[in-house]
Amino acid sequence: MATIEAPLPTTRERVRPEWLENIGGQLLALVAALVIALLLGSFIILAYGESPAVVYGAILQFSFGSKDGFGYVISIATPLIFSALAVAVCFKGGMFNIGVEGQYLVGMVVAAWAALKLDFLPGPLLMWVTILFGMLGAVAFALVPAVLKVKTGAHEVVTTIMMNGIAISLVAWAINGPLHFTQKLGAFNINLRTDPFNANARIPDLGHRFGVPESAHLSWLFPMALVTAAIVWFVLKRMRLGYEARAVGASAGSAQAGGISIGSVQIRLFILSGALAGLVGMQQLLADKGYLPVQYEAALGFTGIAVAFLGQNSPLGIVLAAILWGVLARGETAVQIDTNVPREFVIILQGILIISVVVTYQLAQRRLLARQLRKAAAVEELSDSAAVEDIEGLAKEDR
Amino acid sequence: MALGDIGAAIGIAFTYFTIIYLTGLGGLFSERSGIVNIGLEGMMIVGTVTGSWGAHHFTLPPPDGLGWGLPWGPIMGLLIGMIAGATFATIHALATVTFRVDHIVSGVVINLVAVGLARFLSTIFFGQATQSDPGQPHMNPVNIPLLSSIPWGLGRAFQQLSPMVVVAGLLVFPVSFALYRTRWGLRLRSCGENPEAARSLGVRVAPLRYEGVLLSGALAGLAGAYLAVEVAYSWGEGQTQGLGFIALAALILSNWNPVRLMVASFVFGFAQAIPLRLADAPIFRLIPDQFVRMTPYIVTIVVLAGFVGKVRPPAAAGRAYEGGTT
Repeated sequence: MATIEAPLPTTRERVRPEWLENIGGQLLALVAALVIALLLGSFIILAYGESPAVVYGAILQFSFGSKDGFGYVISIATPLIFSALAVAVCFKGGMFNIGVEGQYLVGMVVAAWAALKLDFLPGPLLMWVTILFGMLGAVAFALVPAVLKVKTGAHEVVTTIMMNGIAISLVAWAINGPLHFTQKLGAFNINLRTDPFNANARIPDLGHRFGVPESAHLSWLFPMALVTAAIVWFVLKRMRLGYEARAVGASAGSAQAGGISIGSVQIRLFILSGALAGLVGMQQLLADKGYLPVQYEAALGFTGIAVAFLGQNSPLGIVLAAILWGVLARGETAVQIDTNVPREFVIILQGILIISVVVTYQLAQRRLLARQLRKAAAVEELSDSAAVEDIEGLAKEDR
Repeated sequence: MALGDIGAAIGIAFTYFTIIYLTGLGGLFSERSGIVNIGLEGMMIVGTVTGSWGAHHFTLPPPDGLGWGLPWGPIMGLLIGMIAGATFATIHALATVTFRVDHIVSGVVINLVAVGLARFLSTIFFGQATQSDPGQPHMNPVNIPLLSSIPWGLGRAFQQLSPMVVVAGLLVFPVSFALYRTRWGLRLRSCGENPEAARSLGVRVAPLRYEGVLLSGALAGLAGAYLAVEVAYSWGEGQTQGLGFIALAALILSNWNPVRLMVASFVFGFAQAIPLRLADAPIFRLIPDQFVRMTPYIVTIVVLAGFVGKVRPPAAAGRAYEGGTT
């Protein structure tokens, strides 16, 4: 796809400081939210008669204290990077894809189908085809709300919520029906999952090269997640689709007046979002389990929404936020082992963090908006006087 | 398939109806006041765990003659679930009304936080994160007079129902009255339709929206508590099974009208009951259970897309109101 020049080259000097200001405001909001969460968390810790420093220290120690720990953190973060990116892509276009949850579930089913039925494929090809099918399945599922939005105006939030409900039943149906366990190996009851996949479908382990045990399931999927984040960054910042998405997200009316087809942008964004959602399930499917269980790990799509907020919808922010989320999730075990505080404390901490982020970010945005409005008013006044000066200058030149 | 099975299925449908209708009414109050509430599921979850705790905790009747023979355990459970739901909904109200956070964003967060909060509370209440001990007290089931003696087994639909089913069914009267016949109801609805106009007529928008959201939390919490106390007799993680979203679907199909919401809730409740009771019926034997269970969602999507009927949400629902906090 051809890239196009930023449309406002003449005003770049003025855009820069705003951009910086924007980042500054976001960082401030993030730091404020972190401080609020840690403070409120400290009260809970104190109520359990523990020292906040000890508990927070334990959480950090467990994640950063050893290679193993960090390996676990990374593998928790991997699917969250994909799901948060999926959310962020739609967000840029002013849409809310709550359906990442359902899309990745369907992606897992389709990928499992491919891994089982196409296992004649040689070598790593099977893995790539499996991943591709997962993405296609999720895209197909994402296209339903996208097309309905464009063609009928049905709001994507409500339709994706409904699609999530459908997806849960679809997975249950697939595991009980077409993908039902057939191999008669072993004596224990393993009816509640699909057959195990061919080893060729698995994503190879990466962790052991760095001394991380294979039980961490740190696979090549993590570098793929980083590359994906970079690609998403490129698409959103440097490609036409990203520009159009931002235009539609900022003001659909103006974008249309500027010759952008809103419907086409929205559908393309949803396709991209669905493709990313299709990758969410691959960590548990191909790097961890090697089959699709009934007790699959759910809610990764919803958690992705939280991670996207935390990362302020920027790809780099999302990678960092996913790792932070991984640190906290890993910290559950630390809290359980090292302190008297129940491990669920960490989930509360995550909850407080996400609520504070949403609120502080909103406040920061409002402040920024107010400042920009003031500035715009000032600039208008200035440019009025500047125009007068210009005319006077012209008049001087004439003379 | 005997008529008795249909009767029994309707009986189960009444149970689901109660959960969906109470939660849906919650959504109705919130959205009629202009605040979109997709956090119903989360508010229900908080209701389940706190309600279950209430029923466990207050098993003994109040001392000497103050019990009036009432089942205080379950009643307290339901009340506590209600209060907890409303308290939890305060977060949504604060975020959307006071801080003007996007309603959808806040709702998503509410659902996320509720799961963690329920686990945390469960460790405090029951000493374990994902369930309570089974067999907690519940109210004596009742038979509806006359209806429960319908012959051919159809009467089974009206036998052994929780009193809460009756309460939920009768709730349509006070709710409709409050919404359409009182000054408060008119004001609440006007906040959802056109807050600027409402404010210009001296209606204080923010407090009314708080009331709407808190009511919605209370009703969703009550529905959750009913599920844990009266249906499951214990708390278990994941017990709500997305019924909060089905309630949302029913609310949309009802066009935010309490009477039509009743019909939609019952129909969706019946859809939930089919796999449990009518799976052997000739029509349903051909369709896998899972497809029956997804019908509410499919129907909602079809209606939303405008293929059948028309959906008209409260005009201002979801829109931030910038008119200050008064």
